[in-house]
Amino acid sequence: MIAQLADPRDLDALLGRIQFRPRASLEGEVAGRWARGDRPTPGPRPVGNKLVWLGVLLLLLGAVLYLVQSGFGGLAQVRTVDRCCEDFDGGGDRDDGMLVVSRQGSDVQRLAIYEDLDGSRSYTAGDALRFDRSGRPSLQQPLTAGMRTFELCCRDYDGGGPADDAVVIMALPPDRIAMAAIYERLPAAGDKSLR
Amino acid sequence: MPDSRIHSSSPEAAPAGRQSRAHAWYEAYGQAVYSYVRFHVASADEADDVTAETFLKVLAAEERFDPQRGEARVWIFRIAQNTLRDHHRRSRVRRHTSLGAMRDLVADAPTAEERLLWEEEVSRLLAAVADLGERDREVIGLRYGSGMDTATVAQVLGVRESAVRTRLWRALGRLRVLLEEDTP
Repeated sequence: MIAQLADPRDLDALLGRIQFRPRASLEGEVAGRWARGDRPTPGPRPVGNKLVWLGVLLLLLGAVLYLVQSGFGGLAQVRTVDRCCEDFDGGGDRDDGMLVVSRQGSDVQRLAIYEDLDGSRSYTAGDALRFDRSGRPSLQQPLTAGMRTFELCCRDYDGGGPADDAVVIMALPPDRIAMAAIYERLPAAGDKSLR
Repeated sequence: MPDSRIHSSSPEAAPAGRQSRAHAWYEAYGQAVYSYVRFHVASADEADDVTAETFLKVLAAEERFDPQRGEARVWIFRIAQNTLRDHHRRSRVRRHTSLGAMRDLVADAPTAEERLLWEEEVSRLLAAVADLGERDREVIGLRYGSGMDTATVAQVLGVRESAVRTRLWRALGRLRVLLEEDTP
């Protein structure tokens, strides 16, 4: 008969005919077990679920640790400070601006120095980039004769709040910059390292 | 063949006393629960164990049963579902049916030969049901094993009746494919 089941409705009818009957003594057995104080066995602990929850817990813990380590928000806490205008390249004119992108106002991710050619007192498309770096400070030009190192202090260059940042620059006047970094002035405990 | 799986007596109204109430619960739902369980296990012995365990749980929990919150049969079948799940978790044995294990099958066959043919057919059907996914097996077991209508099955599963109908229709389609593949 199964071979002739062309339609699920036939299957429905066939399955509907199936009935099982427990042995007649089962009812008495249940009542007897209950009377003897036999109680249902507790179900096995769902190990799979436990492992899933443990995994979820570890993931959450990892996420929390990541957030704590990255300063609660990563990209959301990135700050950009545009300071204009100073003489950053030693050229003699106070026509240079500095753009600092930092995380949490301390970890410098990008530092650029531009010449404010259009006089807008901020970085715009018409300005000339004299120096641009990301990450740690490094020399971008070979050290040559005539190169000068100078320091400007103190302003809030990193957006951290207080005007306690200094900038140190190695430049070949009038407009070539080999290295630029900022650091925090901490009179009591010494300066923080270049960043 | 008349469907005698669920009796119309009301165990909630049974006289006080655990023994008489145990009798009332079993009288009303014993065969339906057993038949539902039997759709999911390979042998009558396994079905006995799971059914007995289900009714022990019913007796242990009956004081917490609140008829205002739902029908008794829905409550009982949820207990049966959980008991069956625990049983499968414990045994971790692949379910299958085999010939000769159908001593508990109800048959109105007039001859021994017809009964054997019916047993063979049911064995093949249940073997195919065992190869279905859990959701399909569950809805087929509740609908055909317990003999409940789709509205009550929906209450047990906590879904809408239309969802049960759709699930059932798809499960039957997949079952038919399995049976066709199995046909020599």
